[in-house]
Amino acid sequence: MIEMTTKSLRRKVENIDSLPTIPSTLKQISKIIGDPSISLKKIGEFISNDPALTTKVLKMVNSAFYGFPGRISSVSHATVLLGSNVIRGLIVGVSVFEVMQKAMLGLWQHSLGCAVTSRIMAKRKGLKNYDDVYVAGLLHDIGKVILILEFSKEYKKAMNEAEIKDITIFEAERDHFVTNHAYIGSWLAEKWLFPRNLIEVIKYHHNPRLSKNAPIETAIVHLADILIRAMGVGFAGDSFVPAVDPIAFEALNLSKMDLKEILKEMEDSLELTEEVYL
Amino acid sequence: MRKIPIDKLEPGMKLARSITKGNMVLLGKDTELAETLIRRIQNIGVDSVYIYGPSQQGIPKDEALTQMEERFKNIENRPYMNLLKDVVREHIEGLYD
Repeated sequence: MIEMTTKSLRRKVENIDSLPTIPSTLKQISKIIGDPSISLKKIGEFISNDPALTTKVLKMVNSAFYGFPGRISSVSHATVLLGSNVIRGLIVGVSVFEVMQKAMLGLWQHSLGCAVTSRIMAKRKGLKNYDDVYVAGLLHDIGKVILILEFSKEYKKAMNEAEIKDITIFEAERDHFVTNHAYIGSWLAEKWLFPRNLIEVIKYHHNPRLSKNAPIETAIVHLADILIRAMGVGFAGDSFVPAVDPIAFEALNLSKMDLKEILKEMEDSLELTEEVYL
Repeated sequence: MRKIPIDKLEPGMKLARSITKGNMVLLGKDTELAETLIRRIQNIGVDSVYIYGPSQQGIPKDEALTQMEERFKNIENRPYMNLLKDVVREHIEGLYD
C-alpha cells in the first residue's frame, strides 16, 4: 500500500508537468493542453512542430472508420471537422499512450477498442456528440497510465495480485492505493480543462449510476469497456470481464439483437482501425 | 470483412472497402468481382483488398471459446452477464462459420 492521503496523491497527479518519471513530451503536451490562455491555434502550431505526433493524429482522423471523404491534411483542418474538444482529446490520447506502450502492453488497443465501440453505441442511441463519446472511451483508463508511470512498482504488485486472486485490476487497486484509476483519471481531465461530461465518464466508468450530468455517455463507455474485454481485445491490467451495472445497462435499453449488431459493427470497425495501432 | 491477398480473389466476392489510389477511387465499395475485374485488380499494384465475409481467426474455435469462458468465470451469476456472454459466444461462433 502506498502511504499517501487522497489529497497528497491528487496534488502529485496534478503536478504531472513536473514529475521526474513523466517523459518530457507528455509534460509539454500536458502544460499546453491545461493552459486556458493558450488558443487552439497555438496548440495546433505546437503539434505541427512534432511531425511524429502530427502523423499519428492525422492517421487517426483519416482512418476509414471516421469515413471522411478525402484526406485531412492538417491538424487545423481536423479541428474544423471534429471540434476542438475532440482534437484535444485525441492529442492527449495519442501522446499519453505512446509513452506507456511498454509499461502495459495492450492498453492502447483496449482503449482504442473501447473508443470505437463507444462511438458505435452512441450513434445507435441517437446521440449527436458521438465523437465526444469516442474520446471518452479513448481516455477512460488514462488514470492507469499515471499510476504505472509514477508508481510502477506498486502498480505491478496490484496487477500481480489481480492475476493471483482472480480479480479485476480495479478491485486490486483498492489494496494498494487510496483511490482508483477512475478518480485519478478524472483529476487529470479536470486539470486539462476537459468538458464536464468527459470528466464524469472517466470518473464513473466503473459506477455509471453515479453520473448525474452524463448518465447515458457513462453507461455507454462502461458497457463498451465490458464488451471489448469480453471479446478479448487488448489488455487493461487483468484478464477478466467486470460485471455490468444493471441500472446503467437497463438505461441503455439494448435488446439481444442490438447487442449482436453492435459486436458485428465492432468487428468491422476494429479492422479499419488496425492501421492506427501505434 | 477480411483482408485478402489479390491472388486469392475469386469471382463472386464483394469489396468491403473501395480500392483507391491517392485520392482516386478505382473500384467502389460493394462492387461484386467478376473474372475480368479480378484481373484488373491484379494489375493496379495493390497487394490485398478487403472483401465481405468473416475474418480469418488466429486461434481455433474451441480455444477461443475456452478463453472466453475464462474471462467471464467470476461474474456469471451477476445480472445480465449471462445475456452478454451468450451474445459474445454466438458472435465468436459466427466468426468461424
